[in-house]
Amino acid sequence: MKILKLSIVVLAAFLAACGGKKENAEEAFLKSLDSTKQEGPSISEEVIGDILQQIPAPLEISVLLKESGQKYNASLLNTTDNTSRYNSNFKKALNLGIYGTDLGYTNIYEQNQDGVKYMSSIKELADGLNIGQFFDIETIGRLATNSKNLDSLLLITTQNFNSINHYLQTQSRANLSVLLLTGGWVEALHVVCNVAQANPSKKELQETIGEQKVILENIMLLLSFYKDSDPNMASLLADMEGLKKEYDKVNITYTYKESTFEIVDGVMVIKDNSTTTIDITPDDIKNIATSIKNIRNKIIS
Amino acid sequence: MKKLFLFTLLLVFAGSFSVIGQCDSEALSNQCIPKLASGFTFLKSYKIDGAGGTKDKVEYSYVFTKGTQYMINLCATGANTDGIVVSLYDSNRNKVASSKVNNQFITAIAYPCNATGIYYIQYTFDGSSSYCGGSALGFKR
Repeated sequence: MKILKLSIVVLAAFLAACGGKKENAEEAFLKSLDSTKQEGPSISEEVIGDILQQIPAPLEISVLLKESGQKYNASLLNTTDNTSRYNSNFKKALNLGIYGTDLGYTNIYEQNQDGVKYMSSIKELADGLNIGQFFDIETIGRLATNSKNLDSLLLITTQNFNSINHYLQTQSRANLSVLLLTGGWVEALHVVCNVAQANPSKKELQETIGEQKVILENIMLLLSFYKDSDPNMASLLADMEGLKKEYDKVNITYTYKESTFEIVDGVMVIKDNSTTTIDITPDDIKNIATSIKNIRNKIIS
Repeated sequence: MKKLFLFTLLLVFAGSFSVIGQCDSEALSNQCIPKLASGFTFLKSYKIDGAGGTKDKVEYSYVFTKGTQYMINLCATGANTDGIVVSLYDSNRNKVASSKVNNQFITAIAYPCNATGIYYIQYTFDGSSSYCGGSALGFKR
């Protein structure tokens, strides 16, 4: 009998160590906290995850702006004074994305004092969504005090946002991940539209705005999965329809040509012989800028 | 009764060994991040878990932008890629690059993108022993 009891104890200890029960309890708790979670999307979360991971980081646009010689302009960003306005999970997730893009922009321009303010707002919104554990604000604050730490700062903030997106998807909260990425993209497009309008001779900025047509299609697809279960996401999708009408005038032509390569220091360096041409007029830029400004104003107000 | 105890212990040990034998692709993808070449900013890390050979490929996708140079590297247990091959396809599934060339496994691809669009980053296994690895994507302008 003793041996039977011992066997049961060993087996129970082993199963407990696997931690499955604890994870389920945590999952149930988080689900109960998430008021934006409705009936769920009309498609599997795996498909949503696949589309979400395609969306490029807004950081790429911030780097483009700096590399093209544009000066830092804090007035283009969403002020951190607005943080307390965002009370619903819908607004928190969207503005978490917006502040994430703003943080990336301040980091790229090494505007550390502004960066710390954005970090604080991000932490506040993330805590409100029960994902604050992914931000190590002390480490980020320490890295932000020295411009030599730029690479580490960019790395840790990118990793934090990647971890959040992964976590939300594993917790069946991909709707928040969609909003977070949408907010981040809206802010990046708003910034680049403003800079492009002030610098009409910069063709690469105009092309960058045109290229966002590809991302807009993905974002609209993601929002459409929730339009029947979440009125807020349906309303955001309707706003994006207006932006799409402006983007319908933009043409992207892709020409495929086989690539070539050479090996340099153990790295395969590809020569891309394919091209895309982007047809976008100053009027298109103006209309896209107006449309994205209206969408952003709704989000940040 | 002794047999029952021994059976329980065997069950526990077997379970432990299967955990040890699992693919820790997350650790390998994290190892890849600092191996991105100088000047590249980290974007994403990718887990490559071929489930012991039951999966023949692992695929991700990302929108690459014209005028940006991307780097994709590979990490596996040991110094080389353990037969893991990364291939890049455009949105029409035309092959843009493959890290296996002339029977040589290259650990990193640099891709200066000239055409904006969705690209598929596909990992396959060619003589792999662990079917397990990690990868990182970085960019620079």
